[in-house]
Amino acid sequence: MELLGYLNYAVYMAIFIGIYAILALALNIQWGFTGLFNAGVAGFFAVGAYTSAILTSAAAEGRLGGYELPVIVGWLASMLAAGAIAWPIGKICLRFRSDYLAIATIGIAEIIRLVIKSEGWLTGGARGISKIPRPFSDFEYLYTQLSYLALVMIALFLVYYMIERQLKAPWGRMMRAIRDNEAAANAMGKNIEARRLQAFVFGSAIMGLGGAMLAHYYRSITPEAIDPMIATFLVWIMLILGGSGNNKGAILGVVVVWIIWSMSEFVTDSLPAEYAIKAKYLRIFIIGLLLQLVLRFRPEGILPETAKSSTSTSDQQTSNNNKGEAEPSPAQSA
Amino acid sequence: MKLAKILMAGALATTALTTAAMADVKVGLLGGISGPIAAMSPSMIAASKLAIAQVNAQGGVLGGQKLEAILGDSACNPQNGVDAATKLVNVEQIVGLIGPHCSGAVLAVANSVTIPAGVALITPSGTSPEITGLDDGDKVFRTVPSDDYQGRALARTLLAQGTKKVAVAYLNNDYGSGLAGAFKAEFTSKGGEVAGYAAHEEGKASYRSNLAELASGGADTLVIFDYGDGTGLTILRQSLENGFFENFVGGDGMKSEAIIKELGAENLTTFTSSSPVGEASDSNAKFTKAFTEAGGSADAIFATTSYDAAFLMALGVEIAGGDKAKVAAAIASASNGEGEKVEAGEWKKALELIKAGKAIDYQGASGSLDFNAKGDVPGSYALFKVDGDSFSVKTTMK
Repeated sequence: MELLGYLNYAVYMAIFIGIYAILALALNIQWGFTGLFNAGVAGFFAVGAYTSAILTSAAAEGRLGGYELPVIVGWLASMLAAGAIAWPIGKICLRFRSDYLAIATIGIAEIIRLVIKSEGWLTGGARGISKIPRPFSDFEYLYTQLSYLALVMIALFLVYYMIERQLKAPWGRMMRAIRDNEAAANAMGKNIEARRLQAFVFGSAIMGLGGAMLAHYYRSITPEAIDPMIATFLVWIMLILGGSGNNKGAILGVVVVWIIWSMSEFVTDSLPAEYAIKAKYLRIFIIGLLLQLVLRFRPEGILPETAKSSTSTSDQQTSNNNKGEAEPSPAQSA
Repeated sequence: MKLAKILMAGALATTALTTAAMADVKVGLLGGISGPIAAMSPSMIAASKLAIAQVNAQGGVLGGQKLEAILGDSACNPQNGVDAATKLVNVEQIVGLIGPHCSGAVLAVANSVTIPAGVALITPSGTSPEITGLDDGDKVFRTVPSDDYQGRALARTLLAQGTKKVAVAYLNNDYGSGLAGAFKAEFTSKGGEVAGYAAHEEGKASYRSNLAELASGGADTLVIFDYGDGTGLTILRQSLENGFFENFVGGDGMKSEAIIKELGAENLTTFTSSSPVGEASDSNAKFTKAFTEAGGSADAIFATTSYDAAFLMALGVEIAGGDKAKVAAAIASASNGEGEKVEAGEWKKALELIKAGKAIDYQGASGSLDFNAKGDVPGSYALFKVDGDSFSVKTTMK
């Protein structure tokens, strides 16, 4: 019985890590490879989660819904919707550089959150949407979890594989060139604005998928789930800690941060009862401390970006030189 | 790497130790410790812990075993709530869960952890109407009434008083619109007429045009769902000054002493306001005494419901004989209006009754509870009138 419990917990952890890994990979496209400081992950996450929830859930009084489409349609639509929202935002905001873009995207994520909270006819307002179907939810506890894990892993693998392929292709080299030396890339005749927009829309669509997968796992979505703390900054911490610019690093960052976060509760729980409430804050402190230490001693993250270019050594050197100057925020050097 | 291993081993050893040392009956206590309700949750947790301490002091559960509450932190969001609940249910092997504190976390935890795992859940503060409709196999309970309830109860009370035609002004946020929606639905379906129904935004200097519009419907009673120390005060003042309406009824947000201070009791003879009451019962007095002695403030929000949630969980565990699968049904049977009455803190009496095979009807600190088929409680509201410098109960609401 105990063993089954541990297994259930492990499967839950794997599902959660898988979903957040999708978010971290999406952010990696924008920040790690293109240098776009998107501090509005929560906004695209929310668009995806709500789109899929509205399309797949049963009808409810007072809000849009009742289409009861298959879950897979909901997921695809969540990517489309998040991408479609990202397009005009990117069109307007990508002219801003680094920190200005960050401020603009934080603002946009807040707008999306407040629209979701106040437009009850669309999203259920503060009540949120519940009764979102989850595939295989008729099985036993462990088997529903395992089958959902399989879906998450398939999605994660597809996202990972597609991004890796794309990065090895000329497109990936071009993106890194734009990130590291915009003027040179421009001189080579690359359409920088369009490429940036591509990366922004592509990354945001994947964030939408992550949001949808979490909503279907919880079988409910409420405005509390799209709080910037848990849906934006947590993803950033994971990516920076694991190593931005490296997809394996992004996934590793999610694993490390969430395992420390979740399992540290067992340690803090063994403190005397009078500290029980304070001990919960200790976990937030541990994550903060970890981020400080990593930024101080290993700013490139646990698994740093590896230069993948093999066509010319000089190309590689330039990119490395530029990286050296620009870390930990490559976009600012441009 | 080595350090990580040592830490891991340490963590595992401590958990192993704690589990080995105390072969107790565990329940989960999942609160919004960090996050937006951080200020409210310590007294809620203290109230729940008081119930558990009383249970342990008066003989424990299942023939003298200690009931142990394992604390988890939901941070008031689904992500952390599900994480903590998964640990409590699977690793700690709790028999029942008290909490989480916020509606969003309740929905996610119930849907993805406790319902599939077959564990009973009682939330002391999840007020969202969505919780009522959960497909929960009767495993989800709450000791706090749904937001829907107050609006509906107020509608019935007004109709019972003979008020058949009203206008409704509500603040445009989830509090105001939720109450107003429930009120309107109940009022019109029971034969009343809503002659004006309009939302207003916060913080404007004048609402005279809104009020004139509402008054044009011909109602002489204005129902206000707003906050008495904010926009609600302005609305009330301007309709008194201009004589738009004669009678005024407020939701619980309007029961604010700021109104009496600003407008004067002599002008408020036609003003009433609904508000939840921790029914002035013996049970409530017992809780207040015990909680004050333990260093808590019994007026703290959700303190009584948190106490009741924990006490009911203990009753459920005892009646079910510690069988996780039967706890939910046992909780439902422990407060359904039938059986011998047990009040807050009377664990010893409850034990004797259970041993004798008698049915129990728990009278909570927050009211008589009495779960309905959905695991909801009707709650105890009363209509208050202005009396000198404060409010006094005019009539109870049903």
